[in-house]
Amino acid sequence: MKRRAFLGYAVAGTAASLLPMATADAAMQQGGQRYLRPPGAPKENEFLDRCIRCGLCGQACPNRAIKFFGMENGTASLDTPYITPREQACILCMKCGDICPTGAIPKITRTAEDVMAKVDMGQARVDKTLCLSYQGKTCGVCYRACPLPDIALRVGMLEQPHVSEACVGCGLCERSCIQIPQAIRIIPHHS
Amino acid sequence: MTSPDSKPFFLWRHLNKLRWLSLSIVFLMLVLIPFLHLYQTYIAAHAYDLLYPSEKIIYDSMETLSAPFVSDPENDLDLLKGTTWSGRLFGLDLSDPLALAGQIAASGKVLWPFVLTALIPIGLTLLLGRFFCGWICPASFLYELNTTLGSWLRNIGLHTGQRRMSRKFKYLVLFVTLLLSPLLGSVAVAAIYPPAIVGREIYYAIALGGFGVGAVFFAGTLLFDLLVARRGFCRYLCPGGALYSLLGRFRLLRIQRVVEDCNDCAKCNAVCEFGLDPLRDGFGQECNNCTACIAVCPTDALVFKMTPKDQPDRGPGHLGRQYRRVHSENAGDSPGIEDGS
Repeated sequence: MKRRAFLGYAVAGTAASLLPMATADAAMQQGGQRYLRPPGAPKENEFLDRCIRCGLCGQACPNRAIKFFGMENGTASLDTPYITPREQACILCMKCGDICPTGAIPKITRTAEDVMAKVDMGQARVDKTLCLSYQGKTCGVCYRACPLPDIALRVGMLEQPHVSEACVGCGLCERSCIQIPQAIRIIPHHS
Repeated sequence: MTSPDSKPFFLWRHLNKLRWLSLSIVFLMLVLIPFLHLYQTYIAAHAYDLLYPSEKIIYDSMETLSAPFVSDPENDLDLLKGTTWSGRLFGLDLSDPLALAGQIAASGKVLWPFVLTALIPIGLTLLLGRFFCGWICPASFLYELNTTLGSWLRNIGLHTGQRRMSRKFKYLVLFVTLLLSPLLGSVAVAAIYPPAIVGREIYYAIALGGFGVGAVFFAGTLLFDLLVARRGFCRYLCPGGALYSLLGRFRLLRIQRVVEDCNDCAKCNAVCEFGLDPLRDGFGQECNNCTACIAVCPTDALVFKMTPKDQPDRGPGHLGRQYRRVHSENAGDSPGIEDGS
């Protein structure tokens, strides 16, 4: 009986200490890791409510861009999909939204208009102190990688990249950047 | 005693083998689908015409299979996706009813396209009861093998997993997890529901390079089953089992005892994975129609019936020693035994 009481207290104590850490807000505040949610995903709170952690988006992704969180982003986002664009970026094929059963990733047709209207994973930002084109060496790799060239990413003199508001944050520019560390990176828009 | 035509259909006692086949196929598919996903990503990164002939075989056979279901050749390999938690089976999207319950609890919103994917499983559960647990659940497959391991341990003298608890506890687990979901801001059942974990972790291990957090939890449940309570997670803790038990309360397909053929050997009670009491007609809402008791019954006294209600306890079986002592023609000659019974 004593042992049982002790176990009860131990479980209750652990649960009480874990509960605040487990809430979605705490998970968002941690923010140690820069990640993107799959294309079209709503804001973080609603996404976590909708996602049933089935892993279908990962299985549908032909580019293997979608990975899944363990405990590193808080318990609320355990087993939820994310993309690290520097490792593997989204090619905007929209297959994940097509297979997602709950609409956590909405269905989006694979046209430039629909993608630009509904996808907002983040926006690219250029670090001019790192970018080769801003250092006088003509590069332009990010512009060549961009799926929305001249719309999301324009190049000026010496192929210097200029990001516009139309950028959907797929991360192909960040993936392709030949500088280490990358001179262009996606600032996520999920929270 | 019984006329030959009252004997049950002779194949019923082999249904348990069919069940193992079903469990094995589901588990095998959970292993093969991630490999298919890997193959698909390989195809996506290479031109089809540049593949070796041997590499084209899978694509071509999948294309043949998927021909009736897809229009766009891009989706040729999307025929089989996902797990038992939620998946695509030959173009048909299916989801676990618990996923639906958890998602509604977490967001407070009903997403109708998602509800549609859970309708077929819900309907089948209403008709067949908790059949998912015995016939499909990939965790059940591992748990039953774990039970076999437990019986081996018993054979060498290690009597573990003898503890019994209240089967009602899993309903508490179900409701507490659903109530906590909005507070946690996530579909919390997905993290503690073994079939979802097993499907996910197999996919992680094959396609993403390693097991995740859920594997640790699942290993814990295996140890709990082995060392504390036999089949303990399914019997006492599983939120999915609780939901299906509630849905299957008025199921139509039930196993019933034919009291005339029963000889009170109690093998059914010993073999029942969910700790039910077939010997005393105690099936209830938690029976998953797994047919293990039918397979083990030496006198074919357990049969399937189409009825929405269980029978009440009808006493000792007519082939049993106690019943025969009381009801034999010579019973009047020995009143002492009758009093004692």
